[in-house]
Amino acid sequence: MFSIREVSARPLGLVALLGLAACDIELSAPMATAHPGDATPRRGGTLRYASLGDIRSLDPARSSDAVASAVIRLVFAALVEFDEQGRLAPELAERWEVLDGGQHFRFFLRQDVRFHDGSRFTADEMKRSLERALAPDTPNPSASYFRNIVGYDSYVAGKVPHLDGIVVDGSHELSIHLTAPDAAFLPLMTLPSARPVCPSAGARFKSDWHPCGTGPFQLRQGGWSRGQFVRVVRSESYFVKGLPYLDAIELHFLVNAPTQRFKFEAGELDFVRDLAHADTLRFARDKRWQPSITRGPDVDIYGESMNTEVPPFDNVEVRRAVAFAINRKALVALRPLHLSVHTSAIPRSTPGFDPTFEGQTFDLPKALEHMRRAGYPFDPKTGQGGYPHTLPYLVYPQGLFEKSGQLVQQQLARIGLRIELRLVSWASYLSLTQRRRTVAIAPMGWSQDYPDPSGLLDPLFGSASINDTESSNSAFYRNAAFDALLARARVELDPQKRTAVYRECNTILRDDAPWAFTVSYHAFEVRQPHLRGYAPHPVHAFNFARTWLDRASAVRSPLEPAR
Amino acid sequence: MSFRAALRKHRSLRWGFILVILVVVFSVVGPWLTPHDAFMSNPERAMTREFLPVGPSREYPLGADRLFRDMLARLALGGRLSLLIGVVASAIAATLGGLVGVVSGYFAGKKWTGLVDSGLMRLVDVGLSFPFLLLVMAIGAMLERTTVTSLLVTLGFTGWLGTARVVRAKTLTVRDLDYIVAARALGQRRILILWKHILPNVAGPLLVSATLSIGQMILTESVLSYLGVGISPPAPTWGAMLYEGQDSYTLAPWLLACPAMAIVSTVLGFNLVGEGLRDVLDPRG
Repeated sequence: MFSIREVSARPLGLVALLGLAACDIELSAPMATAHPGDATPRRGGTLRYASLGDIRSLDPARSSDAVASAVIRLVFAALVEFDEQGRLAPELAERWEVLDGGQHFRFFLRQDVRFHDGSRFTADEMKRSLERALAPDTPNPSASYFRNIVGYDSYVAGKVPHLDGIVVDGSHELSIHLTAPDAAFLPLMTLPSARPVCPSAGARFKSDWHPCGTGPFQLRQGGWSRGQFVRVVRSESYFVKGLPYLDAIELHFLVNAPTQRFKFEAGELDFVRDLAHADTLRFARDKRWQPSITRGPDVDIYGESMNTEVPPFDNVEVRRAVAFAINRKALVALRPLHLSVHTSAIPRSTPGFDPTFEGQTFDLPKALEHMRRAGYPFDPKTGQGGYPHTLPYLVYPQGLFEKSGQLVQQQLARIGLRIELRLVSWASYLSLTQRRRTVAIAPMGWSQDYPDPSGLLDPLFGSASINDTESSNSAFYRNAAFDALLARARVELDPQKRTAVYRECNTILRDDAPWAFTVSYHAFEVRQPHLRGYAPHPVHAFNFARTWLDRASAVRSPLEPAR
Repeated sequence: MSFRAALRKHRSLRWGFILVILVVVFSVVGPWLTPHDAFMSNPERAMTREFLPVGPSREYPLGADRLFRDMLARLALGGRLSLLIGVVASAIAATLGGLVGVVSGYFAGKKWTGLVDSGLMRLVDVGLSFPFLLLVMAIGAMLERTTVTSLLVTLGFTGWLGTARVVRAKTLTVRDLDYIVAARALGQRRILILWKHILPNVAGPLLVSATLSIGQMILTESVLSYLGVGISPPAPTWGAMLYEGQDSYTLAPWLLACPAMAIVSTVLGFNLVGEGLRDVLDPRG
């Protein structure tokens, strides 16, 4: 039994605290830098940032989300990488040749590269890494991107032990032969699954392998605690002399937006981008913070993914009705400094985006007409009719979907489609929405892996990306004409002709509506002024490989091992 | 003492009763005080030029929420949900706790039937050794998704442990009183003794415990919703409103102030009533 004083004191204290907090709306001042006028990079320090989500794997062969990919890029270098201008630049490969009209790529590898475990990086290791990532028993969601490599089909069918198209020409020379020219092949080589892994990874995927690569940072034992943090430390064997400047980078998981902002203001985080709208506005309004704000490119698209194998979305008319029923401007109002209305499958910052293309639009009468054609006429005045069953709609806590889902629920109710929001964990959301015949409709976002339309269209809508589990084609959309266009775009090396093919793809997607495209997202990033050398990367989020810290006072992370 | 006399005499009971009545009246008539639907967003009228929800005004007396819905309508509907969950879950807990407490207390210390008491009390010990919130969250996770029914069942079936202990203690003092001994000597059946003689005499502490637990249940539901494991949106529970408002309170403080005040008033009200009832029913306790 508890006394009245004990019980009432806690809520009263909470209210007093809330009152105080609500009064204190002035942001803290940005933290001072030690050498404000000096642009010379300095070594040392731990950069800390946080994420709303968690990661499932740091094995490049299994990476499928943006948060994990950012860490993977720090630990694993690639043959080629996008530079600060978004152009492909040499990394582990000093140079490359494109032969046979785009069907043969020969990479000349750097000779001074060592893995974090001390072993030498050679063409043999590169071949082993690629074969491991593409092996039939590897749960690699992006394996099908590499299907143009000669011998891919026999290899993934388990008929041959090696990929014939990957040929070791010398200790540091590697050739990759393709079945047809592929305009997106070099960008593909920047993906996590094309990054070499230490010999300890072996020739086949093992879920208990300790991640180890050739990148600027390395993961030590105990450096990753699921659901809590990952801490990567500077690799002294990194092949670019003098880099990286930072001693370590820490990413803390499952930190909600208000907590991130509190920690950032208190100096416990150096960089923040998961800000709620009110906090975004406060930073944008505050002149002291404006020099520390950056806007990322529009590289993420969002939409309502409709499972084309499951009723009622196996009926194209219902999908079209949903595409017409969504008022995208209402969704943008949730985060106007992050979101823009977007009605096609290619983000604005991606080469090949066609600003003249007329995508899906909001038109309620047309939506009702499509519901009628589908056999589910709905009378908005009486609320009678529509699809007779309520559909579960999965959302996870803390993200955009938790709020946007409620708006979508209201909007779909106007055409007689009733959905019921179900809060599930991030991991359940991912696994259920990517599992076959499980979820009818779900909010979905996709961050481009590399700046090419194929980086979105192939994984999201190509039938080759359909898997029974971990299917990146969450609409399970299958259209032979669309697949043929994707294949044509791949081999088309003329940029203008390629754009025209992708326009046809967009037209099919608009009309077939496996997704109702809704908004695109760009990051609103705020950093403490002592985080120097940072600029948003045109392709990748969290571009910290060349940043340095110039703190006025030393800070020691609790995760840092005692000296 | 009549209830009216008790109200006059005990200040905490009076104030608690007034608070509870106010909350009940607000929850019942609240949705009719506003022309707006608690579930429909209205960005045309409830959104500022900075895309923030409008503050308290004549049209929106308590302002709008982050999805541009009427706070007044949602707060009142949230009150209905909170009261429903608090009262029904407490009733389940009181029934279970009362039953276990009476049976356990009646058989305590006897040679063979005492094993019933030992078994039930060890069960209570095990239950009480789990952190209540974690236990509720674990059961909620097992049920996969949280609905009003699953929450009622979860809270009801985990909230009876303390009540069972209180009722058992009271039963232990009652069962050896002369009139019970007389009833046993006259050959009255055990079930009738429990039902007609013991239960009415432990009803006071049971009622106090149940009333106090209403506040506790409302608080637990709010905490669960605040942690994102409560009833799925768009259900306007107070905890969920607190959770939804936390990211915008710096520019829209009413998003936190309204549900926080509602939770505090209700929990305080039920606790004052519970304390007052204890004073009335057991002045020496």
